[in-house]
Amino acid sequence: MSLITSTAPHIRSRLNTQKIMLNVIISLLPCALAGIFYFGYRAAIVMAVAMVSAVAAEFIWQKLAKKPVKVNDCSAAVTGLLLALCITPTAPWWMVMIGSVFAIIIVKQLFGGIGDNFLNPALAARAVLLASWPARMTAHIAVTTFPGVDVVASATPLAGGEASMLQLLFGQVPGAIGETCKIAILIGFVYLLITKTITFEVPVVTMLSAFVLSWALGMNPVTTVLSGGLLFGAVYMATDYTTSPMNRWPRVIYAAGIGCMTVLIRKFGAYPEGVTYAILLMNILTPLLDRMLPNRVYGHSRKKEAK
Amino acid sequence: MQEGNRISNLKKVFTNGILNENPTFRLVLGTCPTLAVTTSAINGLGMGLAATFVLLCSNIVISMLRKFIPDKVRIPAFIVIIATFVTVVQLLLQAYIPSLYDSLGLFIPLIVVNCIILARAEAFASKNPVVASGVDGLGMGLGFTLALTLIGAIRELIGSGTIFNMQVMGAGYEPMLIIVMASGGFLSYGLLLGIINALTNRKQQQKEAE
Amino acid sequence: MKVSFRGGVHPAHHSKRPTQHLPVEAFVSDTVRIIMSMHIGAPSTPCVKKGDLVKVGQVIGEPVGALGIPVHASVSGEVIAVEKIPYLGAQPVECVTIRNDFADTWVELNPLGNVESVDPALIVPAIKNAGICGMGGASFPTHIKLSPREGQQCETILVNGAECETHLTADHRLMLENSDRIVDGVRAAMRAVNAKEGIIAIEDNKPDAIKAMIKACHGRENVRVQVMRTKYPQGGEKQLIEACTGKQVPSGKLPLDVGVVVLNVGTCAAIADAVIDGKPLIERITTVTGGVRNPANLLLRIGTITEDVIGHCGGFAVTPGKVCFGGAMTGLCLPNISIPMAKSTNGIVVYSEEEAASVEEDACIRCGKCVSVCPIGLNPFEIKLAADKDDMEKAKSLNVMDCVLCGCCSFECPARRWLTASFKMAKQKIAAQAKAKGGK
Repeated sequence: MSLITSTAPHIRSRLNTQKIMLNVIISLLPCALAGIFYFGYRAAIVMAVAMVSAVAAEFIWQKLAKKPVKVNDCSAAVTGLLLALCITPTAPWWMVMIGSVFAIIIVKQLFGGIGDNFLNPALAARAVLLASWPARMTAHIAVTTFPGVDVVASATPLAGGEASMLQLLFGQVPGAIGETCKIAILIGFVYLLITKTITFEVPVVTMLSAFVLSWALGMNPVTTVLSGGLLFGAVYMATDYTTSPMNRWPRVIYAAGIGCMTVLIRKFGAYPEGVTYAILLMNILTPLLDRMLPNRVYGHSRKKEAK
Repeated sequence: MQEGNRISNLKKVFTNGILNENPTFRLVLGTCPTLAVTTSAINGLGMGLAATFVLLCSNIVISMLRKFIPDKVRIPAFIVIIATFVTVVQLLLQAYIPSLYDSLGLFIPLIVVNCIILARAEAFASKNPVVASGVDGLGMGLGFTLALTLIGAIRELIGSGTIFNMQVMGAGYEPMLIIVMASGGFLSYGLLLGIINALTNRKQQQKEAE
Repeated sequence: MKVSFRGGVHPAHHSKRPTQHLPVEAFVSDTVRIIMSMHIGAPSTPCVKKGDLVKVGQVIGEPVGALGIPVHASVSGEVIAVEKIPYLGAQPVECVTIRNDFADTWVELNPLGNVESVDPALIVPAIKNAGICGMGGASFPTHIKLSPREGQQCETILVNGAECETHLTADHRLMLENSDRIVDGVRAAMRAVNAKEGIIAIEDNKPDAIKAMIKACHGRENVRVQVMRTKYPQGGEKQLIEACTGKQVPSGKLPLDVGVVVLNVGTCAAIADAVIDGKPLIERITTVTGGVRNPANLLLRIGTITEDVIGHCGGFAVTPGKVCFGGAMTGLCLPNISIPMAKSTNGIVVYSEEEAASVEEDACIRCGKCVSVCPIGLNPFEIKLAADKDDMEKAKSLNVMDCVLCGCCSFECPARRWLTASFKMAKQKIAAQAKAKGGK
């Protein structure tokens, strides 16, 4: 009888990379469904194109680069879905495809693949699309509304469109596919928390800091946190493992940075929306934050650490 | 025999600047103008030729003066010589090609601090005879010009749908604006650099395999 | 108030075969193989030879060196072999094999009597002579722990009843069935070093044990029970001290440097046996579970062969893939089942072939889970990158030497990276390098 000998531990937790990614996809379902409900079949097409082209890009790259093909870890699918949910439902297929390929090949694979990208792939791709085809990216459409409710204008509330608090909450406003329905995002957030896929710090601190700063700057804080992609970004984009800090205090600073930068860009910047750039900026600061505020190691005094 | 050797040496110096030691893709020098002006092929070409002219003239003059310039003040001396030729180029451009002068703008006077020119002065012209220095300047300048034109053409094609202002892409093409923006400059330069590195690595591996 | 520490994980406790309800039953096999290096320190020297007749409790291995403790015969009978056998480590170890005559004739014992009245100076020698070493797994000689050096003063005897490891219920059963003995042992240890208090720390998933121990502590001087949150590695020495006293043992120092001595509950019971009855350590409780037909908590004579234990428990219920001494988080794999259990063997766990199947390492996704669970506050993912590149200097600067090899990071890692395994190697490598340097 031959026995296997290996180093402890002999058991592993059930959560693996693939399950984490699947959890993210499941948590995005409410947003995706809300997007299809409000924006119709076009939203579904955008999501399908984004996911298929992201997975295909990863597959082809790994084949060409003669690396092990790991598309079944679902991370490319998550990237594709996230990208689709943060762009407008009117986006043409070729634009979505370019976004997905850019996210996977240039932002993710060229920097070493999963775990080594320094920017959130979906968000970086969104920024590229926004810079490349600004008119296309901001061509929002009016939502199909419940019977008896007036059709809202097709400018986003941030760009001057009018919307009531309830409309903001339920997502009856023009905008990107996944970002409008705040209720759906919150359902997804709760699911991510229950499955321990993410921790609460980053989304909560991001929202809080945006709320406080917009209040201090004389903006309507409730509208600030409920409009645009702030909530979506805080829950799904800012919590990206690879590009957010690992230690608790750096996480808090990172999240506060996102909230504040978003408000500052909205208030003083040239763009009506600033979540994308705020998160990308803090992504870049992530390694620095982790290095500047390391965990205290058991049995080491703080003073010694400073040396 | 000696004459033949000299000529083949000069040939080597010349092609060196274009291929093996291409200032943009191999030495990664002069990246500031590379990133800034390559929004179109014509801009790249214009910038490249202007730099070539300065490089050629400054290399020749510095090589001629190499025994007179004291070592301690050589850098200021080089800069003065380079600045002279840059001024010449600037005035010529302003007089005869005002459109290019306008689109290159600030980057023409900035040729003075282009590190390719100073680097060749320091590394080559101040140690070699006049003819070789001139050939080196020409080779380096043409290598720079080729690289800038290539990057400019690619960026112009993707970012505006044209090459040398001629419509290349079909009417339905929607240009990818980011490529002609500053961030697009970094992206395209980085990707081209990566591709060229990958190709040369493969070539080297093949050579080693043989 | 329930206390705890930073980080940690919740491995599925007793997931498949719970054993905490099974009373301890004794099992004595017909042959025991007693190895001479059951403790940390130089192996003992066998002082019997083939053909000798030995009694229970007779010294068969003489202590060697400062950390040495004697080894005793755990059964009476005839010595049938004194030889080197392969064991858990790379080196074979000296082993005395005794055929049991089942007469259980004991050597003459030297009881000291009541722990409250015995001369404190006699306690530590009695512990040494009884061959007691840490029974929670680390097997550090107990008499050394209880001998403070100059300038050290032990304030607290901290008794580890956390049993945070998966599968194991040996300490749990001991606390239920022999609570008075444990408290006697704590008192003896306290008196030996003149400690002010004794704390018996138990995780809150063992309410019956907490109740039993509180009852046993009633009326005893300065001994109390501390309830802790259920979390692995709550029973790790450093974590236990942090949770119960709020102090941290400085890097590279011992618990005594912060005035604490940590003893396992089993060790305490053994101390009580040694002091009150003069009995050496010849048996211990071991949990046998996993892929065996009848899981059990067994009172085993030291040196019982694993194969016999598994046979007693009805044999394998699955095709065995791995057999380990200890729980799933830190257990050591046996190369074969003819290996005997030792003084620190608190559990024998059988894993099926599927459970034991090797997992493939994926790319790190920088999720930070390893960082958040590390009870020491290390950055395991970063140390692993350094260790993979064989960059020991970097690993050292990332404090790999403070790693306690608890296994939390490996357990939690979604990319299934072999973090703990590579830290173990790195620690050994760095220690070997330091030794080589010191040798020059």
